[in-house]
Amino acid sequence: MIRLDKVSKRYPNGHYGLVDVSLTIRRGEFLFLVGPSGAGKSSLIRLLYREEAASQGEVFVDQFKLSSLRRSQVARLRRQLGVVFQDVKLLPQRTVYQNVAFAMEAVGASTRDIRKRVPQVLELVGLSRSRDNYPHQLSGGEQQRVGIARALVNNPIYVIADEPTGNLDPETARDIVKLFVEINRRGATVIMATHAKDIVNQMQRRVVAIERGRVVRDEVRGAYGYES
Amino acid sequence: MAMNLNGVSYIVRETMRNLIRNSWMSLASVSTVAISMFVLSFFLVLTINLNHVTAVLQSQVEMKIFINRHVPRSQELALLRQARHWPDVRRIDFFTKQQAAASLKQEFPDQRDLVALISKSNPLFDGYDVYTYRPQAIPQLAERFHKESIVHTVVYEGQVVSRLDKLSNILRWVGWIVEGLLGLATLFIIVNTIRLAVFARRREVQVMKLVGATDWFIRWPFVLEGMVLGILGSLVADGLVDGGYRWLTGAAAVALPFWPLAPLHSVMSEVLMFTLIGGVLVGVLASMVALRRFLRI
Repeated sequence: MIRLDKVSKRYPNGHYGLVDVSLTIRRGEFLFLVGPSGAGKSSLIRLLYREEAASQGEVFVDQFKLSSLRRSQVARLRRQLGVVFQDVKLLPQRTVYQNVAFAMEAVGASTRDIRKRVPQVLELVGLSRSRDNYPHQLSGGEQQRVGIARALVNNPIYVIADEPTGNLDPETARDIVKLFVEINRRGATVIMATHAKDIVNQMQRRVVAIERGRVVRDEVRGAYGYES
Repeated sequence: MAMNLNGVSYIVRETMRNLIRNSWMSLASVSTVAISMFVLSFFLVLTINLNHVTAVLQSQVEMKIFINRHVPRSQELALLRQARHWPDVRRIDFFTKQQAAASLKQEFPDQRDLVALISKSNPLFDGYDVYTYRPQAIPQLAERFHKESIVHTVVYEGQVVSRLDKLSNILRWVGWIVEGLLGLATLFIIVNTIRLAVFARRREVQVMKLVGATDWFIRWPFVLEGMVLGILGSLVADGLVDGGYRWLTGAAAVALPFWPLAPLHSVMSEVLMFTLIGGVLVGVLASMVALRRFLRI
């Protein structure tokens, strides 16, 4: 379970990323995080994987209390999370396969496990045939899939995606969201920040809307709710 | 820091890759370490030799205590037994004036006047030969003997030795200071080499951090790189010192046959120990410094 308890995030320049946010996410949920650009969606996500620390309040991810996490525990926290980054963060000199395998190497997985697991994940995201391509040879949607494969490869409990459909055409975006639904169906909790109004409306999942750093709406079967 | 075999093979592979990718900087680092370690060795060799000379001289140094005439033998021996337990006394031997005369005659058989003199009426004294552990202790020890009522005079030649000792102390300090400065310069260069390697791989480091690699897992290849640079540099220095010292002992045997140079193996074992420890330390420290900023994610 992920729980935010009256969390505020204030940046050194005085700007508030989040103000007094309380939120609970149970295991197995599928949650959309919506709101205008700069509303605080990315701030919230960065708090979850502890790239940033809350200024006030407390964030809990399972047994981890994030304000009092030692550096070695940050690594353990992140192994529970599969994060798909807004800018994907693929390594340009490594192939699709190597990019995904790298995440397993980084946590000390055995070569045997890597050889077994990476093809499975590539199969799931539909990239089996591109495994030896380099990122620059892929389309935006394919690159995003590599990022998703990398996030999934260590079997995370929570999959967190920050605008994974941001720069994609509607068709491709829909496929990516379907992929997340499948991931959710297989047991992972999915938290997805997005702008994709149509998709959110169509999916009828939990929607948390953030505006100017505050949660303004939390609906179990929500819609995007903005005219944009 | 626990790590399985997969981790180890990953680390070795990454280290090799870094070293080869930055081969010019690696070479520069190795040379800097070598120069620094050579200077360290220079001071080491000097101090080792000074200590050696001091030790050799020390074993020859003795303090002579002469005892007043007409002191009963029992008192002479009582002081002897007592003084054996004083601090810094390594050995103490009693001699009678007859023995003193005999050894004089033996030492100077050609001095007929002298021999005649001491044969007629022995003007010499009973006394002790005293050997110490520390040449610096000789003056105090002499003072202590002098306070004994039965002691007539105390004679010693410890000045040379204590000066040598002072010199080697000064040299040690100069050595540490020079070495400290050189060490900093070396550190700086290795930090830069490794920072280049880290910088070339900053995206990898970032991704590793974000997918949950531990700091040590990320650090190891760079730390190992630092260690390899340090050890290679040290070995180069050790080779130079070994060759140089062999040459020196050869030359000294001809030019200064009586000068007691420390033996090669004892010099080299110390040089090896210090340079290798130094090289590893500098390498590890440098890589830790170079990585600090990049691990703060």
